[in-house]
Amino acid sequence: MKKNLLILLGASLLSVSTVLAQDSVDRSTMPKVGPTPQINLGKPQTFTLENGLTVMVVENHKLPRVSASLTIDNMPAAFGNKAGVTDLAGSMLGSGTKTISKDDFNKKIDFLGARLSFWETGASMNSLSKYSNNILKLMADAIINPVFSQEEFDKQQAQMLEGIKSEEKNVKSVATRVQGVLTYGANHPYGEYASEKTIGAVTLSDVKNYLNTYYRPNNAYLVVVGDVKFKSVKKEISSLFSNWNAGEVPSVSLNATTNASKTEIDFIDMPNAVQSELAITSTIELKRSDKDFFAVLLANKILGGGFNSYLNMNLREAHGWTYGARTSASADRYIGEFRASTSIRNAVTDSAIFESMKEINRIKEEMVDATALENAKKKYIGDFVLSLERPSTIARYALRIKTNDLDEDYYEKYLQNLNAVTVADVKRVANQYFASNNMRIIVTGKGSDVAPTLARLGYPINYFDAYGNSVAKPVFKKEIPAGVTLATVVSNYEQALGGAGKVAKVKAVKSTYTASMQGMLLKQEVTTMAPYYSLQEMSMGGNVMQKSVFDGKAGYTEAQGQTVELTEEEILESKSEKQPLDIEVYKTGELVSIEPIEGKDAYVIKMNKKKTFFDVESGFIVQQTTEVETPTGETMETKVMFGNYKAVNGVKFPHKMTVFMGPRSLVFNAQSIEVNPKISKKIFK
Amino acid sequence: MNKCIYTLASVFVLSSATLVAQQVDFTEFDLDNGLHVILHQDNTAPVVTTAVMYHVGAKNENPERTGFAHFFEHLLFEGTENIGRGKWFDIVSQNGGSNNANTTDDRTYYYEVFPSNALEVGLWMESERMLHPVIDQVGVDTQNEVVKEEKRLRVDNQPYGSFLAEVKKNLFIKHPYRWATIGSMDHLDAATLDEFKAFNKKFYAPNNAVLVVAGDFQTKDAKNLVKKYFSAIPKGKEVVQGKFVEDDITETIHAEYNDPNIQIPAIVAAYRTPSMKTKDAYILDMISTLLSDGKSSRLYKKVVDTKKMALQIGAFNVSQEDYGMYVIYGLPMGEHTTDELVVEIDEEINKLQSELITDEDYQKLQNKMENQFVNSNSSIEGIANSLARYYMLYEDVNLINNEIDIYRSITKQDIQNVAKKYLNGNQRLLLDYLPSAE
Repeated sequence: MKKNLLILLGASLLSVSTVLAQDSVDRSTMPKVGPTPQINLGKPQTFTLENGLTVMVVENHKLPRVSASLTIDNMPAAFGNKAGVTDLAGSMLGSGTKTISKDDFNKKIDFLGARLSFWETGASMNSLSKYSNNILKLMADAIINPVFSQEEFDKQQAQMLEGIKSEEKNVKSVATRVQGVLTYGANHPYGEYASEKTIGAVTLSDVKNYLNTYYRPNNAYLVVVGDVKFKSVKKEISSLFSNWNAGEVPSVSLNATTNASKTEIDFIDMPNAVQSELAITSTIELKRSDKDFFAVLLANKILGGGFNSYLNMNLREAHGWTYGARTSASADRYIGEFRASTSIRNAVTDSAIFESMKEINRIKEEMVDATALENAKKKYIGDFVLSLERPSTIARYALRIKTNDLDEDYYEKYLQNLNAVTVADVKRVANQYFASNNMRIIVTGKGSDVAPTLARLGYPINYFDAYGNSVAKPVFKKEIPAGVTLATVVSNYEQALGGAGKVAKVKAVKSTYTASMQGMLLKQEVTTMAPYYSLQEMSMGGNVMQKSVFDGKAGYTEAQGQTVELTEEEILESKSEKQPLDIEVYKTGELVSIEPIEGKDAYVIKMNKKKTFFDVESGFIVQQTTEVETPTGETMETKVMFGNYKAVNGVKFPHKMTVFMGPRSLVFNAQSIEVNPKISKKIFK
Repeated sequence: MNKCIYTLASVFVLSSATLVAQQVDFTEFDLDNGLHVILHQDNTAPVVTTAVMYHVGAKNENPERTGFAHFFEHLLFEGTENIGRGKWFDIVSQNGGSNNANTTDDRTYYYEVFPSNALEVGLWMESERMLHPVIDQVGVDTQNEVVKEEKRLRVDNQPYGSFLAEVKKNLFIKHPYRWATIGSMDHLDAATLDEFKAFNKKFYAPNNAVLVVAGDFQTKDAKNLVKKYFSAIPKGKEVVQGKFVEDDITETIHAEYNDPNIQIPAIVAAYRTPSMKTKDAYILDMISTLLSDGKSSRLYKKVVDTKKMALQIGAFNVSQEDYGMYVIYGLPMGEHTTDELVVEIDEEINKLQSELITDEDYQKLQNKMENQFVNSNSSIEGIANSLARYYMLYEDVNLINNEIDIYRSITKQDIQNVAKKYLNGNQRLLLDYLPSAE
């Protein structure tokens, strides 16, 4: 029955109705566009103080406001058993200076309606231009003359500890932490994380040491954008920041990162997850100054860098498995990273991994479509044009030239370099940078739902705790409680239906279910009678699309004018199920597991390729799945869910059936269910 | 003498109401089909935004079909008669643009940002969407799954993700604001294609929409292009917005919710407040700023900084067309309890009710509002969104230039009055937002 339904569903999904509107404008094709607007990329005005602080100023008088941001461009450093000292240092800045108390400091900022904030490698402010001088002064004062109290430190530390605690069950934050550890290693600055233990180990003097050592103007850039006059702001900043002393910032050597020797799955169990956090990662050697940078940028764009990318169009638009899926190939002076990531429904986590790897391999094996490449370029050109609306863009580009060792004319040549990338370049860099044989497929999700399905993908599976420590394979399967057997499950089911007595009195059933599909009424009528008689008819918009009949000896299926007799095997199968309510048949199966169905546990009885799920609480059958082989030889699972059980003549029947086919589903609701109606045997011929 | 003048001048600067933000100039007209059009020309950057706001949101839904408005936001990217399924995003990218959409209880908003040479493409796309979107079972089925994932992502897997939905459920009894914007997945599952088509026909008509074009163009050219693409779209039936009047809350509502994604409980005190169009709503914005915006704000400074009783505390005003919600929340630190936080919150509210705020606080509020106002008109897309919102929901486009005057007109007495009028213990919901038991 279910199989038939699915075929019908597939056929009707192909038909799309079109009604053309009458319209005098030719709207059938996209309007032609003119040439890309001229781009005039200015440069900021720049000066450097003796202490090394480089200041970039972009004058823009459109709005009466000013923003400034400070970037301290030190090498990344790891802090091991004091990881998190940087966060604490950042939060201690701005809590009072030698001349102003913390309270007055905060009050002043708020009073002027401005914002000023600090972090371990920088600071930023914005305010109306009439007050910008006051705020810059506070920024400089907080950096040059800070006062740190033990009380403030204790408070910040306690809050950070509480903050860590508050994130313990946050699937995303656990996933992010473990992804860092596994991709870069726990001792790498990009992989280490602050924990209760490391934050607890940090002292006020650690914070002071950190700031003394690293918060220095040597490698710092201050970018000022907005309604300022260069001459006066130069004078102002020179006087405010000249007393900031340079120091020796230690250069560190970073641990080497290692990718998986062979692509593997790394699983982290989060029992409260309703989606799996999936990240497929590897580190890559890619810098912005590399010749390949532009080709990688475009390859990533096509693979997963936007909505209409391979990955998102597959996982979201074709399958409806996720709200979004993206890849990134980040260039970094020290070590870059490739990642494909998405939040995916538990039940399709394995399929999503399969499809993601397929798309990564696709861009390595197939040449991308020339139009797709052209469109990706146009998107970057557009982004480039759009970014010019923000006056800060000029400064951001200038800063990037400095901090990434780029040629001075990098952005003048940006579009030219982008346009030079060929289809062959994309394939070449995809093979060089997207190492699909050496990736970590990191899955943070609900183990009891997800973990058992991953084995079939064929990758080695490792298990980790929420901090990225390797653990033995946890037991995800729920134990079937003692005393529960095949017999008790089946008998509970019978009891739920109304009890053996009432069930035995049901000799024939005639039911009609309907569903709506594309505005058409889909009707399914089933008549069954003891011992083996059955008749099923499926009609759409009043026309019978398919009819199946069995009279205990022989039967046939009629569809689209063709009649196919049942094979011997099918006859045997039909005869194995006594009509109309065969409870005995489940006793021939095997009680295999407890699995959650929409959050509620169900016992699973397996018979050949069919699994039947009995709700633990109610006893009812809530789902049936069957493995079927597609014409192309792949196995897929069909699924029907049952619900809304209501009594008819004292026996309960499901009044709702949801039939699933891939991401689509069709809901059938019972229109009528008759028990023991008058039926002529002739209808089963 | 000179010094005195200087001091005087600086005092004047702090308190005077000089013109602060750029003047946003715009042109408005109506097409015969009822589409209202607003054009804002700004040639400083080669960027243009095309945007349409439809006056349909979650509050227009059938209570048995919640989630429809948001679902439509998804559905209307599936394609049109002339834009094939999945091609919408290709067209945006190949013209170097960006696009997005969002849905609230009151309205649905769609927009594209393009380099200015693609203005006509943007208008063509939005007119296609308004004239003849393709609404079919394939699109419905796919987006049904996508929306479920969106809910899992943003609500079910998100710490504190259900908190606003719980507040709405408890504060509103009759008004459709009572359900979550994302709606019920069961309702979406049960909906038929015909119902989706009917929803489109009813609400997605030109006479229920405003089109805003903002950025680098000549107003005359843009006007002609708008007419070219939008004039032929047939007018729909008049959309009548429902009227739902809630009874006053006179006794504290107590509610509890368990969230499996959290470790630290939260307490939420929420009050039902009037429409965002009223002056009182603006006053409540100011009260939020006073209570929790910035480190010197009253609640933050007392509860987080000085007494160290809370990890977080905040107050915000949810502004909506028919009613608003005033929400105060806190997460206790360590051994402290949510009850203790309620005591602290009440103390601050009582203070607002019994005393006028100081001159200094008053001036601070004015400065903050001024800064916010200057920044609110800083991007072309932001201006487009504001123009649409002020026209459709506030029924006064000129607010884009003079909303600041409303804030300026608010007095210390107004603030006290509003605190007394709306923020009383017996008028509120106290929601205990708790971790699920292990």
